[in-house]
Amino acid sequence: MASSRDDFIIAIRSAFLKKTTKQKFSLLTLVFLSIFIIFLSSFNFKIVNNLRSILNEVVFRSSFIVSIPENFIASSYKGILEYSNFYSEFNINKKELENLKAKEISNEIIISENNELKELIEDYRFSSNKILAKVIVDHDSPFLKTIIINKGSLDKVKIGTNIYDKSYLVGRVIEVNFRTSRVLLLSDLNSSVPISITPGNVQAIIIGNGDNTAEIKYIKDNLIDNIKDQGIAYTSGTGSIYKSGIPVGRINNIDNRFLVNFYSDFQQLKYVFAEIEEQETDTETIIEDNTDDYSSSSTEKIKLDILDEELEILRETNEKFLEENQTLKSQMNNSNIKILKLQKTLEEQNNLIKQNSIDQKELSFLRMNLIYSSKCQKSGFKKGFKVGTQEYKNCILNKGKKAND
Amino acid sequence: MIKFEKKNYLYKIYSFLPIIVLFVSVLNEFDFNYLNLDYFSFNFPFILIFYFALKEYNKFDYLLVFIAGLINDTVVGLPLGISSFSYILVCIFASYLRNITIRPHLIKDWFYFLFVISLINSINYSVLFLFFSYELDIMFYIINNLFTFLFYVPSSYFLNYYLKAIND
Repeated sequence: MASSRDDFIIAIRSAFLKKTTKQKFSLLTLVFLSIFIIFLSSFNFKIVNNLRSILNEVVFRSSFIVSIPENFIASSYKGILEYSNFYSEFNINKKELENLKAKEISNEIIISENNELKELIEDYRFSSNKILAKVIVDHDSPFLKTIIINKGSLDKVKIGTNIYDKSYLVGRVIEVNFRTSRVLLLSDLNSSVPISITPGNVQAIIIGNGDNTAEIKYIKDNLIDNIKDQGIAYTSGTGSIYKSGIPVGRINNIDNRFLVNFYSDFQQLKYVFAEIEEQETDTETIIEDNTDDYSSSSTEKIKLDILDEELEILRETNEKFLEENQTLKSQMNNSNIKILKLQKTLEEQNNLIKQNSIDQKELSFLRMNLIYSSKCQKSGFKKGFKVGTQEYKNCILNKGKKAND
Repeated sequence: MIKFEKKNYLYKIYSFLPIIVLFVSVLNEFDFNYLNLDYFSFNFPFILIFYFALKEYNKFDYLLVFIAGLINDTVVGLPLGISSFSYILVCIFASYLRNITIRPHLIKDWFYFLFVISLINSINYSVLFLFFSYELDIMFYIINNLFTFLFYVPSSYFLNYYLKAIND
């Protein structure tokens, strides 16, 4: 029993400490060294970061050179496959091109409309410089979906810089070296993107599933029914991680699981665009306040300033409306008084006209009475009517002719 | 059989071939990913390190294995030192097996290898998940483990031929 334990201890000691003549370090030393490096890398020391950057530069370049044969084999293999499918793909592409041309025209209209609306609300716009970057390392590791590009801090690439394939979002920079950067692809498990889904304008967060797609993870329960199959997902810009309005992919509903099929094929990335943002504003006050620092706090300040201005404009407009309202009210009162006066005058004039016509009739009767009274008046020898009766009046108006005549 | 004149340049390159292949594989992540086979991946450095540590091949310097680990971390984007730690653990386990074995047997080595890579991958996963808050798919680890285990036997046949050529 004791001897077997001794054997075990001897074997362990030998495994850890024994060095052959060729070995410079024992395994125990190397274990401690690696643990020490893990500890160092977990803290954010400047020296360690610089050393790491230098190591990254060397390793990425070496990796690019070493990967050339494998990349050549892979690209040849893909080339052969593409060549065999050339004609069928050509036909599909032809149809797709026609559709896209039609869509492009409507897109141009929408873009110009959007710009006009932005100018109308005096919004601040981002003008961006997209720089072309070559993918130098893309191993499509099953554990971490990252790529290395040949642009770094010297090209003004920063942590968080958005990376595009054509105009589609690919990922963002998570590590910057002098001339290289590491890009975390959207398909990685650690990548989460706030998106808007159209139609329905549903807000959600997607998380990569390590399999060249992403899954909708966070969404309000009552909005899940609003999502439609083949809906378009684009960045919402929430959290200022990604710029808003960048196309991400199409929604695919598989067994009530909403997956996002990315527009870009992450396994085929050769060149990408890194967006270096430069902010420009329309209002003078914002320009004065704006410095070269595009930190999130300054962005928030600009937004607040714009909102304050909008509020001030609304207040002024409201006051103007109130004033106008008062003026209109007083004008309306005056008009009502005028109308009443005019109505009264009209009534008086009507009465006068009526009186006049009565007087005219009376005058005509009196004139006729003078002429025909002898014919109509009743006397001792003659038949007639009593003065003042209706019959007498009728007789006068009939010029002395009686009803019986 | 290939025969070399000793102290020849070609012989020197040939004798350092395991280390060269190790460096190429960590720089290139030699794992046929471009075939786009779902879930297919294997850890070739583990096979190489375990085999040559088990055979106590004198050109297979542990320091170089350690550096290869650092390079792997840089390429994959893991925290520095994780792969070095894993590779050195593989060396330790292989060295222990060598010390306790009188009559080597491929099948025993094979299952011991399965135990070693499972343990090391578990440590890797735990460290990355607990200390570095990495989101990782455990399924990939399990499948990677399985394929690495399956590839050990055919790889060891090839590597036996290599060692035979060196010894001759």
